[in-house]
Amino acid sequence: MDLLPFLLVQCLNALSQAALLFFLGVGLTLIFGIMRIVNFAHGTFYMLGAFLGYSAARLSGNFWLAMIVGPIIAGGIGAAFEVGLLRPLYRRDDSAFLMVTFGLTLVLGDIIRLLWGVDALQVAVPDAFAGIVFLFDEPFPVYRLFLAGAGVVVAIAIWQFLERTRLGLLIRATSQNAEMVHALGVDVNLVRSGIFGIGCGLAALGGVLAAPLVTASLGMAGNAIIDAFVIVIIGGMGSFLGSLLAAVLVAFVQVFGTYYFPDFALAAMYLLMLLVLVVRPGGLLGKEA
Amino acid sequence: MTTHSSVPRRILLQSAAAASLVGGGRSAVAVDPIKIGMPVTLTGALGSIGTQMRQACEFWAKQVNAKGGLLGRPVELIIEDTAGNPSNTVRKAQEMVERNGVRLLTCIVASNEALAVAPKLAEWDAIFVSGDNGDGRLTGESLVPNFFRPNTSGPMGTRAVTLWLRDSPMKKFYGIGMDYAWGHNSMDVFEREAKRAGKEFLGAVFSPTGTKDFSTYITKIRQSGAEGCYLVLAGDDNNAFLSQANQYRLGDKVQLLTEQVDEGSINAVGDAAVGLVGGSRYPATLDNPANKAFVASWQKEYGRLPQMFEGDQYQSCVVLQAAIEKAGSIEAAKVRAAMEGLVVDSVKGRVEMRACDHQGEQAGFVVKVVKKAGMERPVPEVIATYPAKRITPACNKMSYDD
Repeated sequence: MDLLPFLLVQCLNALSQAALLFFLGVGLTLIFGIMRIVNFAHGTFYMLGAFLGYSAARLSGNFWLAMIVGPIIAGGIGAAFEVGLLRPLYRRDDSAFLMVTFGLTLVLGDIIRLLWGVDALQVAVPDAFAGIVFLFDEPFPVYRLFLAGAGVVVAIAIWQFLERTRLGLLIRATSQNAEMVHALGVDVNLVRSGIFGIGCGLAALGGVLAAPLVTASLGMAGNAIIDAFVIVIIGGMGSFLGSLLAAVLVAFVQVFGTYYFPDFALAAMYLLMLLVLVVRPGGLLGKEA
Repeated sequence: MTTHSSVPRRILLQSAAAASLVGGGRSAVAVDPIKIGMPVTLTGALGSIGTQMRQACEFWAKQVNAKGGLLGRPVELIIEDTAGNPSNTVRKAQEMVERNGVRLLTCIVASNEALAVAPKLAEWDAIFVSGDNGDGRLTGESLVPNFFRPNTSGPMGTRAVTLWLRDSPMKKFYGIGMDYAWGHNSMDVFEREAKRAGKEFLGAVFSPTGTKDFSTYITKIRQSGAEGCYLVLAGDDNNAFLSQANQYRLGDKVQLLTEQVDEGSINAVGDAAVGLVGGSRYPATLDNPANKAFVASWQKEYGRLPQMFEGDQYQSCVVLQAAIEKAGSIEAAKVRAAMEGLVVDSVKGRVEMRACDHQGEQAGFVVKVVKKAGMERPVPEVIATYPAKRITPACNKMSYDD
């Protein structure tokens, strides 16, 4: 393989992976930024997305529907969870949230096991994207191009949502001073439920899209939550742009790190995190240093 | 989470009734169950394998209990999830020994868990019968007197594939393995065997357990220029690799070989598994009386064919059963003596538990995953069978002389 096709293939590999990492990290960081809650159950919502996507695609025969239905159901569960179990705890200290969201990982994980069983489930690549394209004679899956594209589209959509819409404005305002927003007559609780649901829905979208690459399996959650935390810590807790930057950075470090230093494949991501924490303790675009 | 397998209460009552009759009026004493400890990985990357193994143990225990138990005692399985973490496994096994009085262990999924448990067996005065552990060292440099392996080891699985390889026209090979004991060990064996077969081994890469994105590894395999690539992957990692390799059309250029083809993976990745050639520790299609009986009653119970790890773990249970019956006891010293040299005709045919290194000598199989008309999923088809003497390495060895 010549250098140019090699670089092209590897960069596209990294971008497709960055998209999945971004879906995972951005929800966690939004939830933290606005609610100051570390959502331990985030990886489980990612896994839930994969299983919901599997069922939706199987029942309807339509992957596109799965991409919509999975995140909506997962987001609904997330919002309901916020209303029912998190809201009564806002006056407590942070450890209460850790316990409750960790409890949710166990309960949700077991529910998934009961509903879908323990075997990994196949989610086929949608027909439209099942093919390959040749990049300088190197075959490359169309689905990976789609993933990278989906990442860009979702990133722009979230950005526009936060910057241009009234709800986005409220979300940003709530993240800066919830009491003031409340005093101005806005139902802050509703904003919180909304953002928790959206965050969980984004994780689930990541799960739906990752399933054709890794199958829907019970091992997904544990892996995903670690990746999500790494993205959030590198990007800066609560920073939307930070999570985007971190996802791209981690993906490139993983893809090229694995290529040149395969023995350190696992360490590469953590070394990057260590480096960022030493240079900027609050994360790349984090507020507090 | 502890689940005690259902010991039919009827057996306990019957035994109690019998005891009171024999005892002629003395107080009735319920028969102690034979407790078998299973620190098994049910969650995490290898959870699907552990689930197969647990099901085989439960099926076996049910069969045994339905026939009145072992030595007249019901079999009770004590099952704990280890999540694949060796320190968990040792702790849970120790709890089973100390709290539940367990003296027999099986169903430990990963080799690194088995390697962690083995040195403790003497202290616990317990026997550990492997149901799937592949690492060659368990019956080599790390062998302990109370460890037995009735299942096909990693080197034996690889051996079947290398014997098949010698007849293949392919010349150049590359490898990808999971970055822990089993992956490295099996890759070393394959490298040695491939070279001995006059093939060129271009190198190997190891992916951390839990790897999700295999794109870079696929790039490396493609760049190596190999005609065949040897896979030492299991569980979720194997599923992810096969799905992605298929998306990159890797199979068009490179024949994928694996130490073992398991049905869990085929079910998880579907057509992405087609074309894969590999060893099988247990193909359900084997033609012998013990296997036919096993498959028939399994199908009656679960409505499907037994899978590879189910067959292999079941054979280990049957070997343990034969040893206990021969020993007439579950004391470690007696079971050990009964196990050494034991010959059992089980689902894979004749298995001899040789005394020198506690490895079960047995035949080896090579299968190819094919798409068959009328079946929803691709199936492994036996393409070669090799006799036990050619498959099993010399005592305490992980490699072969020819």
